[in-house]
Amino acid sequence: MSQGQSREWELTCPLVSDEIEKLAAGDLVYLSGPVYTARDGVYQHMLFDGNEPPIDLRGLTNVSLQSSPAGVEVSPGEFEVASLQATAGFRYAQYMPQLLEQFGVKAVVGKAGMSEQVYQEVFRKHGAVCLTTLGYGLGAIYGRAIKKVLGVYWVKELGISEALWTFEVDRLGPLLVEGDVHGNSFFTQVNDDINRQLSALYDGLKAPVYGRIGEEQKPETELF
Amino acid sequence: MSTTSTAISRELIYQVAYETNKRAAIVVPQDGLAAFGEAWERESKPLAHFILGQILENAKLAVVDARPMCGDTGLPRYYVKLGNEARIDGGVVALERALRQAVADVTQDIQLRSNRVHPLTRRNPGNNTGVFAPNIDYSFEPGGDWIDIIAVHKGGLFGTDYRMLFPADGTDGIKRFLLDNMAEFARRGLSCPPVVVGVGLGGTKDQAMTLSKEAACLRLIGDRHPDPEVAALEEELRRLANQTGFGVMGVGGDTTALDVHVEIAYTHTGGLPIAISQFCTAYRRSVARVFPSGEVEFREDPQWFTPYYRREGIE
Repeated sequence: MSQGQSREWELTCPLVSDEIEKLAAGDLVYLSGPVYTARDGVYQHMLFDGNEPPIDLRGLTNVSLQSSPAGVEVSPGEFEVASLQATAGFRYAQYMPQLLEQFGVKAVVGKAGMSEQVYQEVFRKHGAVCLTTLGYGLGAIYGRAIKKVLGVYWVKELGISEALWTFEVDRLGPLLVEGDVHGNSFFTQVNDDINRQLSALYDGLKAPVYGRIGEEQKPETELF
Repeated sequence: MSTTSTAISRELIYQVAYETNKRAAIVVPQDGLAAFGEAWERESKPLAHFILGQILENAKLAVVDARPMCGDTGLPRYYVKLGNEARIDGGVVALERALRQAVADVTQDIQLRSNRVHPLTRRNPGNNTGVFAPNIDYSFEPGGDWIDIIAVHKGGLFGTDYRMLFPADGTDGIKRFLLDNMAEFARRGLSCPPVVVGVGLGGTKDQAMTLSKEAACLRLIGDRHPDPEVAALEEELRRLANQTGFGVMGVGGDTTALDVHVEIAYTHTGGLPIAISQFCTAYRRSVARVFPSGEVEFREDPQWFTPYYRREGIE
């Protein structure tokens, strides 16, 4: 199936710098190799509370997914994954400086990305990219890419939906380059265009009878 | 006593609750597939067209592999319509127990994500059940001796909002709320468009919320409200949602909303409460009717909004 005008890249994890630098906002990427998951629970436990990870994450890979899979413990200590999807990443911006600095992460795979400001101030400095999954509708495609669950950690501490999973993946994709090493955001560019037509849709609608909390935000705000 | 119907067995209710829950996680309903297909055909933006193609491919693979079509398997919930003459072996308490057991078992067997946690301690029982979980909502239908069991797996984070408008805000206020909602949640694809938008208009605040969710999840794409004025509003809002141009996953495209469904409830004379729920690309629902004979009929149309359910008069 044609991806239209987007460029496609097949990359092996851990990623190497000269390949990461080629990625431009709007490109499509397929990842193969080891990856690990980290979202609210792991960020809090590992970054904020300072707990040492149970394995050498830095030595394993430099790709981290903001995700917890649809997977279960099929027998004690043995886990299987059926389906995979990342969660919205904007709320994790505060953890990025430490994740990139301390754990050497070069690609964060989330959903919908973070603000361009975070890419400019944090990702660019570390030569890292932010990738996004393409919607909550591709869980089976992404789940198929998981060849092996390498390990699951902190299940007792964080619960299975927040645990740290490590996977071996084969062509995990399509993922969209949302933030590149130059600090460009794909969605910021798209939303600049959309905002031009959006304001026209508001034109002609009468003002609300009562200006209430929640309407203070301008509709053209790029990300909350 | 000869008219008393045979009781529907609790084992059968469990089996159907299990099966609908499993199908909801894996199989995209026919109306969803058709709508995604049409959106794919008419999409003019290459990247949006590519992603819609992937969504269709994903739906196929999920069935082939019998794996959940989305990695966030949402919050499994049930809508139950009880025919007025239906009798259940063990009563509604047995029915609720069967539904809760089915959620726990499907979570393990189909490998759903255990999303349900304690809101403060974040403790995860690991089976998608807990206090008030799964949600079970009821409605009733005169005459029937059957039970409809509808399983829905609804996402949980983005797309739902509420606002108290006033009568003078009228249609413009409704449109403004829809635009604000799309601008907030379709942007960057946070609510995973293309979505089916449900609007709950009127009633009390909690009714508006409830109706918006039912409107999003329990009507077929393309279905129109029987009240012509409400139906016209649905068409107008669908056009407006798509004019925003957010498109699939907010990457820019022609289809942001597959449809907009509006449900109305009579409301306080001084107010116009409104709520919006978005049913995301992970469009997940399965419907079955259980008869006292033991027969089970799976179907596509939830038939949740019956004339009786939307009745205006006393009867």
